[in-house]
Amino acid sequence: MLPAALYLALFIAYPFGMSIYLSLSDAQAGNQKWSYIGTANYSKVQSYDLLANDFVLGRFPSEAAARAFVSERPLLKVTTFPAPGGGHRATLTAPGRSIALLDMEKEEDATFAASTILQDTSWTVRQAGGKAEVVAHEKESAVTLGTFTTRKAVDLAATKLLVPAATRVDIHGTGVLQDPNFLLALKNTFKYTFGTEILKLLIGVPCALLLNRKFGGRRLLRGLVVIPWVIPIAISAQAWLWILDSTYSVINWCLVHWGVLTPQHIINFRGDKDLAMLSVIAVNVWRGFPFTTIIILAGLTAIPDEILERARLEGASAFQRFVHIISPMVRPILMVSLLFSVIFSFTDFNTIWIITKGGPFDQTQVLATYAYQLGVNAGYLGKGAATSLFMFPIMAVMVFFMLQFLRREA
Amino acid sequence: MAEVVLENVEKRFGDVRAVAGIDLTIRDKEFVILVGPSGCGKTTTLRMIAGLEEVSGGDIKIAGRSVTHLPPRDRDIAMVFQSYALYPHMTVAKNMSFSLRLRGMPRDQVATRVRDVAAILGLSDHLDRKPRQLSGGQRQRVAVGAALCRQAGVLLFDEPLSNLDAKLRVHMRTELKRLHQSVQSTMVYVTHDQVEAMTMGDRIVIMNAGVICQVGTPLEVYDRPVSRFVAGFIGSPPMNFFEGELVPDGSGVALALPGDLRLSLPRPELASRAGRKVSFGIRPEHISVAQSGRPLSDLAWAAVASPARVPAVIEVVEPLGHRVVVTARGEAGTFQMETEIHAGVRQGDRVDLWFDMNRAYLFDGETEATL
Repeated sequence: MLPAALYLALFIAYPFGMSIYLSLSDAQAGNQKWSYIGTANYSKVQSYDLLANDFVLGRFPSEAAARAFVSERPLLKVTTFPAPGGGHRATLTAPGRSIALLDMEKEEDATFAASTILQDTSWTVRQAGGKAEVVAHEKESAVTLGTFTTRKAVDLAATKLLVPAATRVDIHGTGVLQDPNFLLALKNTFKYTFGTEILKLLIGVPCALLLNRKFGGRRLLRGLVVIPWVIPIAISAQAWLWILDSTYSVINWCLVHWGVLTPQHIINFRGDKDLAMLSVIAVNVWRGFPFTTIIILAGLTAIPDEILERARLEGASAFQRFVHIISPMVRPILMVSLLFSVIFSFTDFNTIWIITKGGPFDQTQVLATYAYQLGVNAGYLGKGAATSLFMFPIMAVMVFFMLQFLRREA
Repeated sequence: MAEVVLENVEKRFGDVRAVAGIDLTIRDKEFVILVGPSGCGKTTTLRMIAGLEEVSGGDIKIAGRSVTHLPPRDRDIAMVFQSYALYPHMTVAKNMSFSLRLRGMPRDQVATRVRDVAAILGLSDHLDRKPRQLSGGQRQRVAVGAALCRQAGVLLFDEPLSNLDAKLRVHMRTELKRLHQSVQSTMVYVTHDQVEAMTMGDRIVIMNAGVICQVGTPLEVYDRPVSRFVAGFIGSPPMNFFEGELVPDGSGVALALPGDLRLSLPRPELASRAGRKVSFGIRPEHISVAQSGRPLSDLAWAAVASPARVPAVIEVVEPLGHRVVVTARGEAGTFQMETEIHAGVRQGDRVDLWFDMNRAYLFDGETEATL
């Protein structure tokens, strides 16, 4: 008991506890003293920006009327006056026309926002529900309607926009939840995990079915198929680095050689922002599918011959045997393989770090690599710990559902 | 009508002839047992009838129609496997109805059929259970039920009782025999257990090394085995064999066994064969035992016409219940015999063994055929 307890305490509880402690402190490389800062590493909001775009300036019964209004644009002026409920109201006015745009606390803010809408946007006419709308659209970026310190204030300000528009609240802060790179890494992690898992199944299941057939050299092939999984990723990824290299890629060389591509249009696997994710997924699938294959093969081998013979005898075709007998019998073990595989992929660091280091422009940055970047390379130990701990609840939920499924199957 | 006819059926695995050209006719509604030691080709024969094994040569007919090249599902057969082969993810009802559902039988008809079969087998309360929630005997019954549901002309059984415990095996033996009387299908049953063969079959087919040794009713194969192999295979404990020689004895013939033992034979017709090497066989139940020098006390044996006395020493006594199996050593070799438990024989006793020579068998030393 004691050695087990010591082992648990030293090698499992300590690192885990330390990560939690770090994530709750302002630990930073070079700091002498680390102090407790609560959940600020996870989430700490400094301000809310209210942004809006695509303002609907008016609805008209016909397109002609709408166009007439657009042509009146040079005549419009911004007028600001005290609003009925307090604050100031900015309106666009022309002879015989007044469009209330928004209410704001300060007169100059209201005027400035209204002027931006009037002067910096392009106005277009679009059909909506049998009517013609005039929409003011700002191409570069949405119009900032103010910065607030509380959620309540920003929600209140949003109600004071008097014309329909597409509004958005940007949150600024120092916690990882306010970090757009963290959110990108989270999204990439899911993309990476589900991309690999689906492909691993699509490749692994047919491979397992093939390797389960009787043919000469089957044992040899069964041995060969696990090679990608057995070679240390640090070695095999080096080979993939060359395969995916921007200049020396063997894929590009072949494609050019066969005349599919011209040398000026070779594929930049690791540098292109769309291809980079596909590249790391491909490497992970290459490395991970043997695991899926072997586990499913084990499941297939575990089906007694007599059961399949009985199915044949009872008149089931090869396809019916697959659907009614083989699939349901392999499903539990398939879920186990998926469970392990998802855990491996979700927490994968090696593949990405060797192939792309999270680039280009964080397009392949996943939680594991981002936590390393943040905590080790940049020295923000607390935030790095918080980032890596985010994986824990997400994984817990996924594992919970998979285990539920397994229990129901059994 | 579901008569099964095998004509010169052969199965080769590479150079090995697992079944070496057998002819067999199994009559409609007959319960036939294929029995033999491991590797004798009985299971291969059954699997060829089922269509699970390709036939290397010869022809198989079911109900007058050649099925040699038909897939299993078109042969009008159903089979019960040794391991039961139940689908673990399906309930009992689904297991039993799988073949019917594959054939697209309407749902209500399937339900009726399953309910009827379940009632016959006493499974009505278990239809919604999964196989792993059932006992071994219940699983066995589900496997039988799945075969019955198909209402096939021929039911094939591949050692279906070998995974059951001894008590359940005896029970299921009776059940299957009763079932055969009620379902009116032709049944072909493979086993290596000669007790199952003797108790269940209308006829027994004894196989060895890929050929059929003898086909007959249980009584025929017990009383008139055609060869030393059949004689040794049928009966428990097995027949005792001794190697000896036929010698002239007055006008008749006697058997000379090792240790200067001469047993006169009530078989004058064998006189011409004097000098031949033979195997002498006697079943344990045809040997009686008495303490050395004393006459036989067993009244039934007093009536035996030609007893032969053989001195021996008791080596092992194995009580079975009302009978004991006694192993004794004489000069001619080791004997096994059965006696009543109250006969009072003990290990180390010097005894006289009395052979009922009318029930003794002689087998040719070379051909092993019964003389």
